[in-house]
Amino acid sequence: MHTPTSESTVAHPENAAQVKETIRRFILSSIRMARLDDDANLFESGVANSLFAVQLMTFVEKTFAIDVDMDDLDIENFKSVNATTAFVLRKKGHLGD
Amino acid sequence: MIESVEARVAAASPDTTAARHDEFKTFVARYVAPCAEQWDRDQKIPETVLAMMAKCGYLGSILPRDVGGQAWDVVTFGLLNESFGRGSAALTGVLTVQAMVSMALLKWGTADQKRAWLPRLARGEIIGAFALTEPEGGSDLHSLVTRFSESPDGLILNGSKKWISCAQFAEVFLVFGILGQRSVACIVPRGSPGLHVEPITELMGFRAAGLAELHFEDVRVPSANVVGKPGFALSHVAPVGLHYGRISTACSALGLLRGCFEESVAHASRRKIGDTTLGDLGMIRSLIARMGSDLEAGRLLCHHSCRAEDEHVPDAYERTLVAKYFTSRAVVRAASDAVQIRGAAGCHGSSAVSRYYRDAKIMEIIEGTTQIHEDMLGKIFVDQAGRLGPGADSREQA
Repeated sequence: MHTPTSESTVAHPENAAQVKETIRRFILSSIRMARLDDDANLFESGVANSLFAVQLMTFVEKTFAIDVDMDDLDIENFKSVNATTAFVLRKKGHLGD
Repeated sequence: MIESVEARVAAASPDTTAARHDEFKTFVARYVAPCAEQWDRDQKIPETVLAMMAKCGYLGSILPRDVGGQAWDVVTFGLLNESFGRGSAALTGVLTVQAMVSMALLKWGTADQKRAWLPRLARGEIIGAFALTEPEGGSDLHSLVTRFSESPDGLILNGSKKWISCAQFAEVFLVFGILGQRSVACIVPRGSPGLHVEPITELMGFRAAGLAELHFEDVRVPSANVVGKPGFALSHVAPVGLHYGRISTACSALGLLRGCFEESVAHASRRKIGDTTLGDLGMIRSLIARMGSDLEAGRLLCHHSCRAEDEHVPDAYERTLVAKYFTSRAVVRAASDAVQIRGAAGCHGSSAVSRYYRDAKIMEIIEGTTQIHEDMLGKIFVDQAGRLGPGADSREQA
C-alpha cells in the first residue's frame, strides 16, 4: 500500500504553490501516467481506478482540513491538478498567492 | 458532519474498545448464537433481536452523537461486526446495510435529508437498504438499467433491483439508477406508490437476511430526495456506502472464520480416535493450522483497514478491499475444512458448521465478488508499480 498521506499530512501548505505540489504528488502516487500536466483531465483519460475520485476527495479533506460535501460535487472542482488546487484554495478562503 | 478524527479516537481508548468487544461478544453469546439456527430455518430475523440491538446502540454505532448515534470509531464498528459474524452471518447483513445507507447519507445528504432520516437510522427505529445490484448487472456498477426520467416536480423511477439485503423489512431504500448519461442516487421510502417488494427465499446462505427484489413502476421521486448530485452517484455516493459495506463484510467474515476455528479446535480436542484424539492427527492439525493462521492474518488486515478509516486516509479504500478479499476467501476455505473435521455430523443441517459453510460462500459474493476485488486490486498494484518507473513524472526528471 502506498502511504504518501502520512508525510503530506504533517504540513498544512499555506500558499498556492505548496497546495498544488502536494496535490500533484498525491495524484502521481495514485495513478499511472507517463506525465502529468496540471490541466490534464484525470477522469476523461481513463487512467484513474474506480476509487480514485473518493480517494482524492479523502486526501484533500485530510490534508487541508476541509470538508467536501454535496455542494462541492462538481467535476470542475476535481478534474485536474489545477482545478483541485483552486478548489482547495477557495475552501480555505485563499484568493491565491 | 462527522466529528473530528481526534475526537473519535479519544472517545475510544484501547480499554474501552476491548470492553466493548467483550460486551458485543456477550450479547451475541446470549441473544444471537443460540437462535441463529432457528432464524436460518425460518428465513427470518425476529423484530425482538433488532429492537435489542437498537436499544444497545448497535444500529447507529458509527453515526455521530448529534443525530443520535454512538459515535464509536471504526475499529469498534469492526469488532461489532466480528462479534455478530461469530453468531449469525445473516444478522450481520443488518449491520452492513445500515452502515452503507447511513454513511452515504451522512456524507452526501442534504441538511433536510439528514434531519429526516439519520436520527431514525441511528436509533435503529428503521433499517435502510442499499439498492444498487440489478437482476442482470451483478457487481458491475456501470451497467445499471434502472432509469430515472425528469418530471415537473422531480424524477420518475422505473426498473428493478435484486438481491437487496434486508429489503424485506427496510423502511427506506437508497436507490441507484441512470438519468440520461448521469448516475443518480435517491431516497425511496417503503410504501412509495409504484414500489413493490418481492421477498427472495430459499437462498443457500444468509437465509435470514431478508433479501428481496424491488420493482419500481413510475415511482415518483421528489427532487429533495436526490442524494448528492446527478452525475456523482457511482463515482462518489456508491463508493462511500460500499466502502463501509466492505468493512462490515470483512469483519463479519472474520467473525465467521473465528466460528469455524473455535468449532474445529473444540471438536478436534474432544473427539476420540482409539487412544488418541482427532487433534493428534497430523492431517487435522494441518487444516487447523491454516485456519488459525488465516484468522490471525484476517484480524490484522481488518484492524489495519478500520484504523485507516478512523484516520481518514485515502489508503483506507485499498486496505478495505484487501481485508474483504482476504477474509471472505479464507472463511470459505475454513468453513469447508470445519465441515471436513466434523465429518458426517457436519453435513447435517443441525450442525453449526453446515450453516457456516453455506453462509461463508455468500461473503465472497456480497459487496463485490472476489473477482471484482481481484480486478480492482490488480489494477491498483500494477499502477503503483508503474508510478515508480522512469518517466512517471517529467518534472522530477528535470
